[in-house]
Amino acid sequence: MIAEFPGLEWWSGEALPAVHRLARETLPFAWANYSFMVNALLECILLAPLCAAMGVQIVNFRLAFFSDAISHSAFTGVALGLLLHEAATRWGGTFDPRITLIGFALVVAFAIAMVRRGTELSTDTVVGVFFSTVVALGLAIVTASGSRAAGFQRYLYGDILTLDAVDLAITAFLAVLVVVSMCVGFTRWTLIGLNAELAHSRGVRVRLYDYLFTLLLALVVTVTIRTAGILLVTGMLLVPAATARNIARTAGGMFRWAVVIGVAGAMTGTLLSFSPRFEGISSGAMIVLLASVLFALSLVLRRLRR
Amino acid sequence: MKADARAGGGFALRIQNLSVTLGGVTILSHVNFQPAMGKINAVVGPNGAGKTTLLRAILGLVPFTGTIERGRGADGRPQRIGYVPQRLEFDRAMPLSVLDFLAAGLQSWPLWLRCLSKVRRVADTALGRVGANGWESRRMGALSGGELQRVLLAMALASEPDILLLDEPVSGVDIAGESLFCDLLGSLQREGHYTMLLVNHDLSIVTQHADYVVCLNQTVYCEGTPVETLTAENLRRLYRHDVGLFGHSHMHEGHAHDHHVHHHKESESK
Repeated sequence: MIAEFPGLEWWSGEALPAVHRLARETLPFAWANYSFMVNALLECILLAPLCAAMGVQIVNFRLAFFSDAISHSAFTGVALGLLLHEAATRWGGTFDPRITLIGFALVVAFAIAMVRRGTELSTDTVVGVFFSTVVALGLAIVTASGSRAAGFQRYLYGDILTLDAVDLAITAFLAVLVVVSMCVGFTRWTLIGLNAELAHSRGVRVRLYDYLFTLLLALVVTVTIRTAGILLVTGMLLVPAATARNIARTAGGMFRWAVVIGVAGAMTGTLLSFSPRFEGISSGAMIVLLASVLFALSLVLRRLRR
Repeated sequence: MKADARAGGGFALRIQNLSVTLGGVTILSHVNFQPAMGKINAVVGPNGAGKTTLLRAILGLVPFTGTIERGRGADGRPQRIGYVPQRLEFDRAMPLSVLDFLAAGLQSWPLWLRCLSKVRRVADTALGRVGANGWESRRMGALSGGELQRVLLAMALASEPDILLLDEPVSGVDIAGESLFCDLLGSLQREGHYTMLLVNHDLSIVTQHADYVVCLNQTVYCEGTPVETLTAENLRRLYRHDVGLFGHSHMHEGHAHDHHVHHHKESESK
C-alpha cells in the first residue's frame, strides 16, 4: 500500500542506492561501506532537527506528557497493525503496521485535543486517561498471541539501523512539512503558548494553529518511534530542547541550539552504537544518553553564568 | 489621522444589547454602552460581574448575542484594538527576550531566523513610550510584575491601536509599579488618541484616573463621570455590601450600619 506511492519506486530503486554508492566511494570511513549506516545517518540529519524544533514548543509550553501519550498510542496502533497483518497474511496479502501506527496516533492526538477543549478536567487527567487506555488496549491485543510480541519489540525499543527506503521517504516528506510549518507557525505558536487571548487579539487563528501543532506532533512522534522506540520518543523530542533552553537567551537562540544539539547527539549516538566498543547497545538509548550528558553540561554552564 | 477620526463625531465602540451565556450561566445580559472616545473608561463591578467576559466578547473570544460595533477611522478602516491581558502567566525560565516577545506579536516571519529590522524599530519606539528604553535584550522571566505590565502595554501600543483594552493592569503590581503604570495611562490619556477600556477592581485608581465609569454587574447599573457615578448609593447597589476597598471616607457615610446584612446577601449571590 505504502509502496505504491508515486516516486517511491524511483527513490528506493535508484536515488537511495546512488546515495549509498556515493557514500562508499567518497567517504573515508568504515561505516560508509554499509548502506544501513548511511540510511541511519540520513535519518539523523532529517529527523533530529524536526524533533528538536517540536521539542522547543513542547518544553516551553509543558506538553511533554501530551507527546508521551501520543507515543504510547503506538502500543495500540502497532498491535492493530500486527492484527491486520495476520489477517492479511491469511488472505495471502500483507499489511504494513506503519499505517495503523500513524493513523491511530492521529486519532488519539485529536481526541485528546478535542476533549481538552470540551471539558473542565485538567489536561494532565485527560492525557492520563487516554495514555492508560491506549497502552492497555495495545497490550491486550499483543499478549493475546505470543507470535505478535516479537514483531512488537522493534517498536518498543526502535532501531535506527534497520530503516528501509520507505522509512526514509516518510521522514523526508515529514521534514518538508515541518520546515514549512515552522516557517509559518513558529512565531504564532510562541505567542499562543504565552497567552491565547493575546494571540487572538493579534489576529492569530488560535484554534487552527492548535490543531496544526497537534497534527505535526502526532506525525513526528510516530515517525520517531521507528528510530528511538516508544519508550524514548519523548527523550528525542525533549532533551535537546531542554539543553538548548539552558544555553540560549532568546527564542531564536533556543531553536537554533536545539537543532544543532539534536543533530549532533543523534549522529554521534548512531556512530557510537555502530562502533565495536558499544556493540549491541540500542541506538535510541545511545542517542538519548548522549543528549542527557549534554543536558547535564548545560546545567553546569547555566550555574556558572549566574 | 486619529484626531480626524475623533472630530468626525463617530464612536470607537458601540455595544448594544450584549448578552453572554456560558455553560447555561448568564454572565452578561443586555449590556448597552458606548465608551467615551479618546478617554479612559473604567469598568467596575464585583468579582464575577462579567468584566473580563465583556473584554473577551469585544475581542471575539466568547460567543454573544447583540452587537459590538467598532467605529471607523477617517480612512474608513475599522478601529484597531490593542489588548493588555491580566497578568501574563508563562514559564519564567523560558529563554525569551523582551524583543522576542514584542516581535512575536508584530511579525509572522519565524523568530528562529531573525527579528525583522522594521519590527525592531517599532518595538524600540513602543518600549520608549512606556519608559522602557533599551529593554530589548532583557529576559521576560526576569521582569518584575510592573515591568511586565509595561512591556504588555508596549506590545498593545506597537500595533497602533485606537482602542486599548486593559484587564486589571495593575493587579499584583507593587505600589511603585502601580503609580508608574498609572502615570503612563495618564500620559496616553492626555494624548487623546486612545479610547481606553480599563477593567479594575481598585476604585481608588478609577476615581483618580478615569474620565468615564461604567458600573457592571451582569448588566450596566449606572454610568457617567466618576463623581456622579461612584456615589455611595450606586456602589451599594452594585456591590450589595460595604465597599471596603474604597479609600474616600465620605463614601462610607450612611451605610456602615447595614454592613453585615448585605454581607450575607453577597455570599448568597456568589
